[in-house]
Amino acid sequence: MAWVTDWAPTADELNSCIDCGLCLPACPTFRLTGDESASPRGRIAAMRAVAGGRAPLDGRFAEIMDLCLQCRACETACPSLVPFGRMMEGARGEVAAHRPDAPTIGRRVLFGRLIGSRVLVALASAAVGLAQRAGLASVGSGPLRKAAALRPIPIPVPTAAGREWLPDGTPIGTVALLSGCVMDAWYSQTHIAVIQVLRTAGYRVVAPPNQTCCGALAAHEGAVYDAARLAERNAEAFEGYDRIVVDSAGCSAHMKGYRHWADGGAKVADRVVDANEFVAQLLTEGLLPVIEGDVPIGIQDPCHLRHAQRIVEAPRAILGAAGCVPIEIDPAGMCCGAAGAYQLTHPDVSDQLGRIKADQIAGAGVAVVASPNPGCEMQLRAHVPPDVEVVHPIEVYWDKIK
Amino acid sequence: MDATARLIELLGVDRVRTEPIDRMVYAKDSGVTAGEPAIVVLPETTAEVAAVVRIAAAFDMPIVARGAGTGLAGGAVACPGALLVVLTRMNQIVMVDEVGRTALVGPGLINLDLSHALVGRNLHFAPDPSSQQASTIGGNAATNAGGPHCLAEGSTVAHVLGVEVVSADGEILMLGGAAPDPPGYDLRGLMVGSEGTLGIVTQLLVRLTENPPQTVTMLIAFDDINDAARTGSDIIGAGLVPAALEMMDHEMIVAIENFVSAGLPVEADAVLLAEVVGHADGVAEEAGVIRSIAVRNRATDVRVASDEDERALLWKGRKSAFGAIAQAAPDYYLNDTVVPRTRFVDVLGEIYAIADRYGIRLMNVFHAGDGNLHPLVSYDASQPGMTDIVVEAAHEMVCVAVAAGGTLSGEHGIGLEKRDLMDQVFTDVDLDAQARISQAFDPARRMNPGKVLPDGARCFDRPSS
Repeated sequence: MAWVTDWAPTADELNSCIDCGLCLPACPTFRLTGDESASPRGRIAAMRAVAGGRAPLDGRFAEIMDLCLQCRACETACPSLVPFGRMMEGARGEVAAHRPDAPTIGRRVLFGRLIGSRVLVALASAAVGLAQRAGLASVGSGPLRKAAALRPIPIPVPTAAGREWLPDGTPIGTVALLSGCVMDAWYSQTHIAVIQVLRTAGYRVVAPPNQTCCGALAAHEGAVYDAARLAERNAEAFEGYDRIVVDSAGCSAHMKGYRHWADGGAKVADRVVDANEFVAQLLTEGLLPVIEGDVPIGIQDPCHLRHAQRIVEAPRAILGAAGCVPIEIDPAGMCCGAAGAYQLTHPDVSDQLGRIKADQIAGAGVAVVASPNPGCEMQLRAHVPPDVEVVHPIEVYWDKIK
Repeated sequence: MDATARLIELLGVDRVRTEPIDRMVYAKDSGVTAGEPAIVVLPETTAEVAAVVRIAAAFDMPIVARGAGTGLAGGAVACPGALLVVLTRMNQIVMVDEVGRTALVGPGLINLDLSHALVGRNLHFAPDPSSQQASTIGGNAATNAGGPHCLAEGSTVAHVLGVEVVSADGEILMLGGAAPDPPGYDLRGLMVGSEGTLGIVTQLLVRLTENPPQTVTMLIAFDDINDAARTGSDIIGAGLVPAALEMMDHEMIVAIENFVSAGLPVEADAVLLAEVVGHADGVAEEAGVIRSIAVRNRATDVRVASDEDERALLWKGRKSAFGAIAQAAPDYYLNDTVVPRTRFVDVLGEIYAIADRYGIRLMNVFHAGDGNLHPLVSYDASQPGMTDIVVEAAHEMVCVAVAAGGTLSGEHGIGLEKRDLMDQVFTDVDLDAQARISQAFDPARRMNPGKVLPDGARCFDRPSS
């Protein structure tokens, strides 16, 4: 069996793992199952077996790859610096190429094709918004229950793309903002908070008009050609901006890896900065006010912030500047089970992890939890008791300084 | 009904694996040997393990037990046709007795998870192999694992008080117990380190150790690795038993620093990581003695970890060493020889000379306190003939250590990988005595056959001529 796409795990990548197994306890699915095939090392062994022609790329291989949350906690644990997230995206691309009729086809079409269309996302979001208003979401189960955990979706659905915001005085610089696919529709308040904080620091914020979805969800699902197409479109759209601010951790992590997805990708990647990272930096530079206070607030790290980008201090610093004392709820930084679309595609695993996280939050005894990523926020809302509030650190900060 | 059907009937389809790719996924541990099992099962209780063993017996299948698969000697690598019994799901902490300082745990419990669960109770599980964040306590017992802190605390056998074992014929035995000196033969001691050849451990009563009131961790840098080795020897020679005394050479320091950024001195030829524990006065005095011995041996820098975070970072670096070497080349071969501390400097020199002669890249990270060397050869197995060269060089290193009065293995076990070197350190009579033990527990030779003892270890295995 030979790999067929340009994104397949390379021989160097496969060789970079020495089977030490130190990743195993960091892997949520290994923790739940104790099964090597559900561990990073086991998944690499499976990739090697297929790459070496010793095993077929069959349904069982697809299943082994599909169970991975792509949280990349294994990368934080790995002393050999194995690029596991990259390899998993490539392996899923191979599954898609070899098994175009696999049951995961629906996800690939959704996240590869439809999500890149602002009109379709807006229509679908409006439909969810109507369901929310009709009270349908609160009585449903599965995906509908998740819809209940979403923030109320504004109708008409707003978009940041094509707009620009000026600071009160002379701008100290310009930054570009990724408006994103669902962030626009579902998390416009986060966009607003980020934009206002950047304005406060003196920046002009531009959301370039011809940008599109970052392609993370497509890449995660193995829709590699779509991921590449979306990355190329964004590489063009963000041409000429020194700094690209991204306020969803999954998107910022993916865009920092654009070198794998587009010809000019490396150039974009180097200019991408996660909003938490950037705001924390502006605080250090003294461009933003610091509020004194001692309000305890739990902090939950999105995997694509903590593990994929190794950004840990930034959201804590932002909460600190908002007069809050961040309370650690999980020193190991285990995935909450959201994992983008995973919470819809693997409800069993996702719910088990969500319950563990909810128990940790209860154990920490906090009434408010901050999570700087929309997917995690949705997952936490679905699992914590109704009296626990889930918020975004930058929104908390903006609320305090506005 | 065939064996697979019987096992599925017992465990359900999710906990029995027979697909080719699943068998490949379970083919390796962390070492260099490999072997695919015929069937993989994931039992959750002692009763299930016993039933699995009886099914294997009925179908005459060899049985290999496996934990997290972090072993380095192939002890958990399947032999042909094996039923692989994966114990990771048996990871419960059944009971903690804070007063008696014991815990009853499943064999699949991850070593470090036990200590994490004890946070706030001032207790920990002392054996700390570098794999402790991933390796299971059952696996630690199987190999009688050591770790940096076994210098003062003893290896795993000193921390396992009792074991529940499923024997080769599916019976459940209790060996040892909480009493300090149980009557009869010490079969518990025999079971620890037997690498699954005498039975499958399904529960362990382990000793818990009180956290030390004070800990000082020192990082000592040297311009010449021989100075570092001599410092190690001198510290022990001065009558000190530090809690841990570790050494890393230049190449290793660079690889580790790349991963953890612990501020290791990347320009040094070698560093010693020394830890002293106890009450404040004693700790300060011991640290002072170590510092003066190091300075006398031309140490270029002595750094003391200023807080718990820095201490944790230095240990994280040390314990990531084996993984970090992959940055140099895709494969590694790791030795586990022990040499008398008095011969440390000479043997180390000879080992570097062997590496030079074979033209292979050597890194060293080891337990300087007890003379347990881990020369680590970093290489690319895809180069034709390279593995043979490395294995040959590694065997030569073992011979040098043994000739100096040392031994084969300090803490990783014998498994498959060092089995055929056993006659370097044991006479025929010695090996026969060990083989008779295995014969007594496992007359059908079903439990992890082909491990630990070389073929023909039993006198009656050999042709009579």
